[in-house]
Amino acid sequence: MAQDSGGPGAVDKWFDRAKPTYRCVVDPTHEISSLFGWVNVPSAAWIDEDGQIVRSNEGVYPAETTIGFGLGKVRMGDDSFAVATRDWIERGADSEHVWTSRELAERLKPVDDDRLMAEATFKLALHFEAMGDSERALRHFGAAQDLAPDNWNYQRQGWTHKGTAYATWKILRRTSDMRKSTDESFYDPTGLPGENFRRYVEPEWFWTPAVRRVKQLVRR
Amino acid sequence: MIILSNGKTQEFAQRSDDTETLWVRLNELPDATGWSMKPQGACLGDLCVPLPEHKREEWIADADDWVWFNYSEFAEMLGQKYVRDGDVWSLGSIPEVRRMGLESAVAPDFEVTDRNGDTLRLSDFRGHKVVLFTWSSW
Repeated sequence: MAQDSGGPGAVDKWFDRAKPTYRCVVDPTHEISSLFGWVNVPSAAWIDEDGQIVRSNEGVYPAETTIGFGLGKVRMGDDSFAVATRDWIERGADSEHVWTSRELAERLKPVDDDRLMAEATFKLALHFEAMGDSERALRHFGAAQDLAPDNWNYQRQGWTHKGTAYATWKILRRTSDMRKSTDESFYDPTGLPGENFRRYVEPEWFWTPAVRRVKQLVRR
Repeated sequence: MIILSNGKTQEFAQRSDDTETLWVRLNELPDATGWSMKPQGACLGDLCVPLPEHKREEWIADADDWVWFNYSEFAEMLGQKYVRDGDVWSLGSIPEVRRMGLESAVAPDFEVTDRNGDTLRLSDFRGHKVVLFTWSSW
């Protein structure tokens, strides 16, 4: 599910490149994240044959992720979620990764009034963005971001309204700020075996070794 | 006026003598908000909320040759957040519906369009395992 206010125009090239064999949908108004209470991408849920949620996680990064609108590839996660997903598909309720009712109760939590207001405000911003009313879109994106500062969907989608360069700069700056903090995190750990949980989701750029070498040469 | 609710953007008539309040024509209430009026109160699926007796006459009123429902006050009673800019009203989630969903852990149903333009509902996949996965270009 591509969650992107730009609609098919913003995401089709990624779908085409992935050559998916599964159903692909575009969710320009972030309805699915609202319903499941997710605050960032990538997020995922497993739903059994009876329509019951048996697992719902945020931050299910694969080992290799493209970020910054294709600016670069980073290592942020691992393949633990993919391995666990295959196990659940094969073994169903017998999979050790299915949450117990207690885990579900602990993990699926209600949201407070500010976040409920942020959701309505964010949808208003998306409406004005779709109408081409940038001034009002930005005002409501800003209000939603202030009401729910930990909701990265609101932050990143709102920043994108000002262009990809601005959004990329804001994402990198916010990530850098979070790395300096000791009490913030994007997500709870998934708790899956082999998880490479990075509390601050510090990206490791694929070109980092080359950049480091250039810096060393410049210093000399 | 335009109402953003449950992922839909729809245009509805506005009560001419009070544009500061979200008055919805009673016959348009289900399309606009999902709620419908029944003898036991306002109902949304299995959830029915009785209207306070002392508010009934205040919340259901005649104007412009139509019967209108004061959704602003009803939403405030429910704790449902809403925000307005000009003639656009955006309605947030209903806390009680969220609470019921969390308690039952039943996946909330939704309707989306796939890349071929076909409409999909999550409930269409009952009987199958479903993996939902979100991503974005940003």
